[in-house]
Amino acid sequence: MASIGGIPSYILEFGDELVYFTPYTITLFLLALTFTVLVIISRPERQVDIAFGGDAYRAKEISLSEMRFRRFMAIACGLASMGAMVTGDIFNFTLFTAMVGITNVGIVAAVKSPHVQDAAYQYGLVALSATVPLFAGAAVYAAATGSLSMIELMKGTLPAVPLIAKAMLVIGVVGEGMAPFYAAKAEMFRAPGAPYVIMCSLSSLLIFLRVVEVVLLG
Amino acid sequence: MTSRLSGTDMIAELVLATIFGLLLLGIHRKLIARIQRRPGPPVWQEILHMLKFSFKTTWVPLTASRTLFVGVVLIAIGIWTAAFYVLVSGGSLLVILGIYMLHKIVEHGFGLSSGSPYGKYGGVRSVISAASEIPLFVSVAVIAVYTHSLDLSSIMQYQQVYGPLLFTAFPAACAMFLVILSKMPFGPFSIVEAKELVSGYKTEHFGIWRAGLEVCNGLKSFVLLAVFLTVFIGQLTLPWLLTGMIILVVLLAFSCAVTPMMSPFDSVTIQMVVTGLMLVYAMAVLVVMHP
Repeated sequence: MASIGGIPSYILEFGDELVYFTPYTITLFLLALTFTVLVIISRPERQVDIAFGGDAYRAKEISLSEMRFRRFMAIACGLASMGAMVTGDIFNFTLFTAMVGITNVGIVAAVKSPHVQDAAYQYGLVALSATVPLFAGAAVYAAATGSLSMIELMKGTLPAVPLIAKAMLVIGVVGEGMAPFYAAKAEMFRAPGAPYVIMCSLSSLLIFLRVVEVVLLG
Repeated sequence: MTSRLSGTDMIAELVLATIFGLLLLGIHRKLIARIQRRPGPPVWQEILHMLKFSFKTTWVPLTASRTLFVGVVLIAIGIWTAAFYVLVSGGSLLVILGIYMLHKIVEHGFGLSSGSPYGKYGGVRSVISAASEIPLFVSVAVIAVYTHSLDLSSIMQYQQVYGPLLFTAFPAACAMFLVILSKMPFGPFSIVEAKELVSGYKTEHFGIWRAGLEVCNGLKSFVLLAVFLTVFIGQLTLPWLLTGMIILVVLLAFSCAVTPMMSPFDSVTIQMVVTGLMLVYAMAVLVVMHP
């Protein structure tokens, strides 16, 4: 029994729910963990802005309340990313992915800049819409195979997963933050608070990397 | 490349790979200069850079997020060290692909952590040019269709039986070449290090932090070129592997020397067009291989 990410080295079962580690998922999990620890122990930078047409510059300050809220959302995002990396259940994967989308909006929505808030709002709409194909994909997985377990899919004994289910899952994940929706996220990426903003791009990339493994399972 | 090694051998291999990677970057730079009728620096210039920065005064800017500023350098070296060992042990191509994509996050972290506007825009450009990674996904998917595996050792075994994938999956090789081109300095897609951004995402990283970044760049170049040769040519002896990497660098240098750097919009547009073409190609391969 081997997935495209390698042979599972450890499987932890909670009844129907299970968590498993392959060389691929453990790599992604460790990266999510490393950046979450960085979020916990780092203080945000003070972004320097240059005044247009002159030599003047100023450093932006982040208030303590804003920093606390964004740090909380970034840690939640890190935990959701870690969950999405190691879960062995398609439905749990979609739940964690949706949570990543919500926390990404939360990380930047607290920034007191109209441009950043506009971007967060637009991204929120995209992420909200993307949850429809995301959960529908999981539903089609369950309807077609009778199981949502990735370990069962890995065994190759279940009926084949319809291409439409895989496509919906990928579209859902793409809507949660991957290209071409980066256009909406560009404003978010230049918001101050580097450790938190990085968690947005990291979580989006991680769930995309995981969904590649998930769709290649069945 | 799949034999078991002792700890000392592994460290020695890592150091040699880094130095050879830096030498390749030096050859790349020298060739570009000669094609453009400039004398250019000596080929070992990148190695000298790395040594020079190791002994320069080091500081962290007052405006920086200190932990992230330092941590991201260690993460950059760490992820490419992991990629190198995955390559050496014949592990999963998917892990290397994942690490390649996460390098974007590292560049983003480099840029944002300092607080400098130049670094910030270098980091933002790095993230918005993520479109350049999608052809890599398609290449990997095509390889999986042909070989039914993403383990480098299995891909090498497949090529021993059926011949190099360079000929059977030539468009996939071209797409991966483009991906490597997008990571080479002074190339058409090097928008993250454009001169209007000073040095882009690495503007504020001086001293030992820049030396760490140079180590990461050397290792990254070595791993990417070695992965290309392993995936599209197959198992090679060390002299042939190194020769192949030099030939690839010559091709990359020509591509960089005769192509102007694009604007961020054009760069992303071209990468998206290539992605579209590669998706059509992948669908065609899928239909032919599994009608």
